[in-house]
Amino acid sequence: MALHDGHDVLGTLLMRESLDHCVKCTICETFCPVSNVTPLFPGPKYVGPQAERFRVPDEPSPDASLDYCSGCGICTQVCPQGVHIAEINSRARAHLKATHGVPLRDRLLGRPTLAGRLGTPAAPLANWTLRNRLLRLAAEKAIGLHHRAPMPRFAGRTFQRWARGHTPPQAARRVAFFHGCGTNYYEPRLGEMTVALLEHNGVAVDVPKQDCCGLPLQSNGLFDDARGYVHRLAQRLAPFARADVDIVGTSTSCTLMLKREALEILGMEDDADLRAVSARVFDICEYLVGMHERGELKTDFEPVPETVVYHAPCQQQGHGIGKPALDLFALVPELRVVESDATCCGVAGTYGLKREKYDIAMKVGAGLFAQIADAAPDRAVCDSETCRWQIEHATGVRTVHPVELLHRASGL
Amino acid sequence: MPQLQADVLVIGGGATGAGVAWDAALRGFDVILVERGDLAEGTSGRFHGLLHSGGRYVVKDPVAAEECVVENAILRRVVPDCIEDTGGLFVTTPDDDPAYGDRFMEGCRAAKLPAEEIGVAEALRREPRLNPAIRRAFSVPDASIDAWKTVWSLARGAAAHRARVLTYHRVIDLHRSDGAVTGARVRNELTGEELDVEAGFTLNASGAWAAQILHMAGIEDVGVVPGKGIMIAMNHRLVNTVINRCTMPADGDILVPIRTVSVIGTTDVRSADPDEIPVTQDEVDQMLDDGERLVPGFREARALRVWAGVRPLFQDARAGEVTDTRDVSRTHAVVDHRKRDGVDGLLTMSGGKLTTLRLMAQDLVDAMCAQLGTERPCRTAEERPPGNDDGEHYRLGSRLRKREERLQEEQLICECEMIGRGRLEEAIRTRGTTNLDDIRRVLRLGMGPCQGGFCIYRATGILHAVDRLDGAEAAESLRRFLEERWKGVWPILYGDQLRQARLDDWIFQGVLDVEHLPPGEEAAA
Amino acid sequence: MSHHDAVVVGTGLAGLTAAVRLAESGARVLVLAKGVGATHLSPGTIDVLGYSPARVERPAEALGALPATHPYSLVGADAVAAAVTWFKERVASGSLAPYASVGDVDANFLLPPAVGVPRPSAVVPETMAAGDLRDGDPVYVVGFRALKDFHPALLADNLGRSGLGVKARATELELVPERRRDVNALGFARALDDPAFRGDVVAQVVTRLAPGERVAFPAVLGIADPHGAWTALEQGLGRPVFEVPTLPPSVPGMRVFALLREALRRAGGSVVLNNVVIGAERAGGRVTALRTRVGLRDERHGADWVVLATGGFASGGLELDSRWSARETALGLPVAGVPGAGEQRFRPGYFDDHPMSRAGVAVDRELRPVDAAGERALENVLVAGATLAGAEPWREKSGDGLSLATGYRAAELVLAASTAVPAAAAGS
Repeated sequence: MALHDGHDVLGTLLMRESLDHCVKCTICETFCPVSNVTPLFPGPKYVGPQAERFRVPDEPSPDASLDYCSGCGICTQVCPQGVHIAEINSRARAHLKATHGVPLRDRLLGRPTLAGRLGTPAAPLANWTLRNRLLRLAAEKAIGLHHRAPMPRFAGRTFQRWARGHTPPQAARRVAFFHGCGTNYYEPRLGEMTVALLEHNGVAVDVPKQDCCGLPLQSNGLFDDARGYVHRLAQRLAPFARADVDIVGTSTSCTLMLKREALEILGMEDDADLRAVSARVFDICEYLVGMHERGELKTDFEPVPETVVYHAPCQQQGHGIGKPALDLFALVPELRVVESDATCCGVAGTYGLKREKYDIAMKVGAGLFAQIADAAPDRAVCDSETCRWQIEHATGVRTVHPVELLHRASGL
Repeated sequence: MPQLQADVLVIGGGATGAGVAWDAALRGFDVILVERGDLAEGTSGRFHGLLHSGGRYVVKDPVAAEECVVENAILRRVVPDCIEDTGGLFVTTPDDDPAYGDRFMEGCRAAKLPAEEIGVAEALRREPRLNPAIRRAFSVPDASIDAWKTVWSLARGAAAHRARVLTYHRVIDLHRSDGAVTGARVRNELTGEELDVEAGFTLNASGAWAAQILHMAGIEDVGVVPGKGIMIAMNHRLVNTVINRCTMPADGDILVPIRTVSVIGTTDVRSADPDEIPVTQDEVDQMLDDGERLVPGFREARALRVWAGVRPLFQDARAGEVTDTRDVSRTHAVVDHRKRDGVDGLLTMSGGKLTTLRLMAQDLVDAMCAQLGTERPCRTAEERPPGNDDGEHYRLGSRLRKREERLQEEQLICECEMIGRGRLEEAIRTRGTTNLDDIRRVLRLGMGPCQGGFCIYRATGILHAVDRLDGAEAAESLRRFLEERWKGVWPILYGDQLRQARLDDWIFQGVLDVEHLPPGEEAAA
Repeated sequence: MSHHDAVVVGTGLAGLTAAVRLAESGARVLVLAKGVGATHLSPGTIDVLGYSPARVERPAEALGALPATHPYSLVGADAVAAAVTWFKERVASGSLAPYASVGDVDANFLLPPAVGVPRPSAVVPETMAAGDLRDGDPVYVVGFRALKDFHPALLADNLGRSGLGVKARATELELVPERRRDVNALGFARALDDPAFRGDVVAQVVTRLAPGERVAFPAVLGIADPHGAWTALEQGLGRPVFEVPTLPPSVPGMRVFALLREALRRAGGSVVLNNVVIGAERAGGRVTALRTRVGLRDERHGADWVVLATGGFASGGLELDSRWSARETALGLPVAGVPGAGEQRFRPGYFDDHPMSRAGVAVDRELRPVDAAGERALENVLVAGATLAGAEPWREKSGDGLSLATGYRAAELVLAASTAVPAAAAGS
């Protein structure tokens, strides 16, 4: 089928043309976490391939209900016909925002590095502000950020700073580390653990200067701004790709952005740097499993006598690589892993932080939260930072990236 | 034998007939219109959807071009809601002579058609799916027009001025007396009842079927040349502007975005019988190739439906044989039977195109007035028929926007075409007939990508529930729908449409097992 | 590159059946698919054979009369029976237990789908069995106004006309979860998992029942606990209760998907979606690895065995292009039964016998694809389900039966032929 051959895969035009494959089977609707909990969202079939037939580029966007799509991407994953539903929705949403304007809140949420740069030097104050109920209520009134939306803690230092002070050892293999905003401003320890784990396995880690991947801007419909960020990030990472150095990332949603979404949704197939990067970018668990298949991974793990619940975030599923974290956990003695079959935790990046969507997000995640509560685990594990923060917020269970478990099991 | 009386009997309920009824009614005539089927079931319901700017004719048929220029502007004024202002492009494909573009611009200037040459880059920016190898592009005021909406609007307008519009009334004989036509005998196709219509004047607006009507008046060899053309609707708008090949008129040289689809057409094959217009595989193949020339990747896109329409081309047989129907003039003609055949009280409109429907009606009613010796001015260039109250051109997104307004309040019955339960129930209420086929055609139920896979069962259930159909009729109706739909689908059943057909087969036969529905009493008898 | 004992392509009933059977026997199984399979669209019954062309009462007997090219003939009636038995065991011991399927290949139930035509099915969910029209008890059909995919009055009307002497009445309840106007079958199924909603339904129906009536609902009797929902309704109403298949999404079909998916997970198999198989690496008449397109990348998956269950024309496993040539899209296997250029593929009447209807990949008795000369194309590839040539499942009412039997048989054949199956599943 021409749409899937070679270069035809790229191109937002042909992504839109995938709507022709839709046979209205309703399978996407049965999986959509949002339409199953709220009538405000008519469902992926309606909002995607169906409504797209009624949209004309020059006309103002006619359908506001589209805004309730969380962008989780599950619809695209389950569609038996290969319709790029979530991608069609994403582009339609950008047009919607262009028609009706983008609220200040979305502009702010779309720029995590801005918040990061402002909050890091004054971390204690920033953290206190974010947890002060009155200030949060005021923020909700002023800009529409829900007063209970799960906000991370500023670490008060950046991972980039740590990396600058760290000398990579000599090693046979090298990777470049695309750590993302979450690690840089909120979870630098995760970045350190990742570097340690890779070095332990004979891989030297370069940490290039880098900025946001633009995903939050894209999901809030600010495509031009997103393109700028993607382009600059790709420029930084492309030299590694061209030198045959793989690029790994711990934020599974950000790596997906570079692997596929920026090309498909933002229409950046002409960006040679991005194309080079896209071909060489890996989710960290994906990369570690690859090493394992090549016999390069140290598997002499120490026992971890814990029970954990693993939730594969929607964006991780969007990579289409299965659940490599589970393959890695299977190598750790005594670790008991409960695999959650819930589809989505609800936060979907910045979606669940918004006043009008917070309740929907909590309903969406209710199944997952109940499963975690039932399992009463020592901790929960999840590859995406925003999902971890949502899960902790909803269940109180400490939630970590898979790397943290592996780091511990490696005796580091 | 029941009898109706009127000043004017209009035969034919397509665009021509409805336009004539509207015009005559506005002029104060008491009009009866008879149509053997439903309104716009003939040529008008099967046409390409194009409101010509005239660009197609500027070189080959300047008179036709000028008519289009004037009428295009008038129709935009009087039936704005029926028209979507898509704009049009004439593009020089690699198979076309670039020099033709100059003749084209010349012709546009002569016809006062506001055309403009735009750069190829600009054309591709507007229409990213256009063939990137085009060499020239010209912008014109083409538009797409909803023929069905237009015909209904005109008919309602006529009815608001006392006209009686009788659908499912077939003319079975014309009455003659002293060398004049005095009316007709018609049969109500739904009840079988016959009645006479006595009229001072009879206007034959039956288009491609004109010869059949005239035969009843003893008038032969009138020279209506039914020209069959097929069209294929593609599942979505590959383009949002009408795309024409910038060349002498040829087959398959127009791609029209109309409602949610884009339609490629058309062929031109002389046909003996306007009711026998099969779609051939060669024609389908040809249209797909023609589409590919305008939009690369056309053959990978999803074809939704194929159908044939028949043009009422007129060339008086006494002037010689016709081989290529494209050479027959596309302008229209009033056939004066008093002069030609010595028959009074009868005029035939032949030829023409939907774009000039208003002018055709005006010419026909003017000719009638001349023969009647009365002077009543035509008002159709100023008056708006009902249904055009918005005064704004149709926008594709309006259907979606309307649906959004009722998102929480109303079930969606046909999801592809965004038809809510309220609209279905309203159509059931306002239509006199319980004919599910009519309601389907009115609402375009089941005309979207799923081809009725979901909505037809729902609609049948709703109709049955409001006592409009019993179980036997529902079963019959379901089966009839499946057969009708299949006609337009099987010649283009490949690719994505075949996937859909397999799902629909699974639903209708595999799950619902409709083929084993017990037949109705009629079918069983 | 990953390596598995068996890679199954497709997540429909055929693919999941093969995968579960293989994984539970100790094979390391990976399921790759473009998306979720057609179980969501099927009524949830196992229709072995309904029409051949007359209505079939005893499918096991009728199988013998099928042409030699029919997939049932190729796998043999014993395999069909074994597959059905296996399926019933899976359901009964699966994640929805004590939800069970009843019936066998010896006799067909006659169940009404939403338009009320008596439809033959061999094995049906317990939640549907009381609808058997061979039993002449009258029926009270209960619908929900907010469920547009089910029209009780139409069903009742046609039941009365079906010639089986079954009288039926109908009613439509205004009850709806969350006061919505438009709720699909899944929404109602969730509501019926809730005892409070069930209680409301019972309260509104129980007083209207006439003596001797059994009660029909649309197929929405619970998704998380269908046995619980169904028995609660029967107890509350004091009558036999059954559900009726209707337009997708099919809740009973979704139950089958859920329990097979869970069975696969427990057996250590994995499913990866959004992968389109675009080719294979071969060596000496065998496939050594499958190539897939994932997003914008190509991946490779090593396999000893491949079960191709890609769903035929319905989902692009087979494709017919605009020039009327057909291909099998994953491995490029030869496609049989497609008329040549210039020949008719379809006839003008919708219910006619269409030349294209039985097109697909032709196989031998061991489900290996064969070319036009009958030669095996590949040694270690087996084909199952709707991609197979020789059947017209929607006409014969044999869809799920074919998928189940051929998926099961494919797994059996792999297990019998493979020598390197590990004794126990080594983790995922």
